[in-house]
Amino acid sequence: MIRLQNVWKEYQLDRELVFTALKDVTLTIKDNEFCSIVGPSGSGKSTLMHIVGLLDKPSKGHVFIDGKDVSKLSDNTVSSLRNEYVGFVFQQFNLINKLTVLENVLIPTIYTRKHLQYDAKEKAKYLLKRFGLEDKINSYPNKISGGQQQRVAIARALVMSPKLILADEPTGNIDTKTGAEILRLLYELYTNEKITVVIVTHDPLVAAKTKRKIEIRDGEIQ
Amino acid sequence: MNYITFLIRTAIEDFTRNKGRTLLTSLGILIGVLSVVLLTAFGLGLKKYIGDQFEAMGKNTIFLVPGRILSGGGFSGSASSFTGRFDIRDLEKLKEIKNISAVGPLTFKSTKIKSPLKEDYADIMFSSEVISDVMGFEIETGRFFDKSDVAKKTKVIVIGNKIASDYYGSPEDAIGNKITVGEIKFTVIGVTKSKGGGGMGGFDYDKYLYGPYTTGYTFNPDRKFIRLFAKTENESDISQVKGDIKKEFLKRYEEEEFSIVEPTELLSAINSIFSVLNLILVAIAAISLLVGGIGIMNIMYVTVTERIKEIGIRRALGARRNDILFQFLIESVALSLMGGLFGLVLAYAIIFFIQQLFPAYIDLVSVLLALGVSSAIGVLFGVLPAKKAADLSPIEAIRYE
Repeated sequence: MIRLQNVWKEYQLDRELVFTALKDVTLTIKDNEFCSIVGPSGSGKSTLMHIVGLLDKPSKGHVFIDGKDVSKLSDNTVSSLRNEYVGFVFQQFNLINKLTVLENVLIPTIYTRKHLQYDAKEKAKYLLKRFGLEDKINSYPNKISGGQQQRVAIARALVMSPKLILADEPTGNIDTKTGAEILRLLYELYTNEKITVVIVTHDPLVAAKTKRKIEIRDGEIQ
Repeated sequence: MNYITFLIRTAIEDFTRNKGRTLLTSLGILIGVLSVVLLTAFGLGLKKYIGDQFEAMGKNTIFLVPGRILSGGGFSGSASSFTGRFDIRDLEKLKEIKNISAVGPLTFKSTKIKSPLKEDYADIMFSSEVISDVMGFEIETGRFFDKSDVAKKTKVIVIGNKIASDYYGSPEDAIGNKITVGEIKFTVIGVTKSKGGGGMGGFDYDKYLYGPYTTGYTFNPDRKFIRLFAKTENESDISQVKGDIKKEFLKRYEEEEFSIVEPTELLSAINSIFSVLNLILVAIAAISLLVGGIGIMNIMYVTVTERIKEIGIRRALGARRNDILFQFLIESVALSLMGGLFGLVLAYAIIFFIQQLFPAYIDLVSVLLALGVSSAIGVLFGVLPAKKAADLSPIEAIRYE
């Protein structure tokens, strides 16, 4: 369970000018939810995602993960938490092109400080096979299609068995048909594996597929 | 795949993508390591060479040299040390000193020598029969001149191995033949075994001729010697003998008119000069290592900027600051170490060929030092770029296009 309590995020643009991206946001995302954060560009939804995903810290307020306040934790601890608790899926896929598909999926397991109960390579191969990519294991990301890249990214997000998947415009860079497949895949993770899935989108059609819509406008939850 | 192999794999991937850049960056370190290792090798070779030369002079030997040679541990050779000063009276006095087993005089003559095959300038060393033992000569064929040759002023001469082959074709062909030294005909009675060495202005005993000092008076009408030498029974007697010689010679000479030189003492003085000289040269060569290091730093900054997005991705996936720092440090160390290794290999190859002409060699210390220093340079010049990478904010990095 993630809880944001009176979270503010401000950016110092200039010596005088301060931009407030999030204004007093209080929000709870329970375990095993399938929800979307929606809003136009500049609404603060990316900032919200970064704070939920532990990539950024609030200027004011608290973030609780399973009841634990993470706003005061050290960078190392937050990095480890991000590694184990959250899986990211980005609009740009964000795969590392010089590494193979399999190596990309393995990256989170390289950085973990946790002793894995399973063989990382086997798990990565299993996930790739499950997403129909078994023959692409040794390919490089720029040699496969956008839909395939996004499935590699999802496999990478899942390799640490996280409780939360954060997907930032996951269908933004792929065609509608492939986009629908990606959404179905994310939905399966929610239903079959009881993972919390949060999709950040500006597309009402995508948002409509989720169970709960968190609307944000000008840094405030509507 | 574990952590380290993964980072190395990433580094190798990056190097092969930018082959030209990697090569050029390593080249800086390569040149630095090459020059430092080569100079060290020459220094070591020179030191060994000088040591060998002195060893040839024999142990427990003391030389008397005109003028001041050694003052305060430094070397201050002057022209006066090659002008004759001592005479037969000095030699007799030397004989009387306790614990001296053998004494002898030394003069040199540089003149034209002639055989049926060749005519050229060469150096002749005139001394007593004891010189053979002091210098550690071995005879290849024939014999060395003896006491009676000295007493009878016989016109016999022993020639170096090189002289024998140059002037007669072979040592065997030289024996019994005449050789004209200046105006006087000598009979070759012996040829020394080759001692090697020489070059760089050092003594090459194979290119000398050796004759009795009494016969040598012909070339030395005022009968003055430029060196006297004394051999002691035991090494432990040296300081006592030196003291006694000094006392005796001060009766006749001023203190600055003669020096008592012990080859090992001279060796350490010369060694200290060469060590300082070599150190200065190596230090100058080390500047190129510094320049190489700056090259690495520059390229690492470029690499970090090129890979901001990748850094952001890795951070989002759970990499800590230190993981990123370590990743870039490994790359800079690998770059530097690669240059160091190739520099070492190249230095090894060069020294392998140069050894034919010049006594140079690489010791384990310079190998370890070269590798250690190049790794240290990798760390030293890689740490700032790596820190820049590690301190990037994950969100800004991941948004970077």
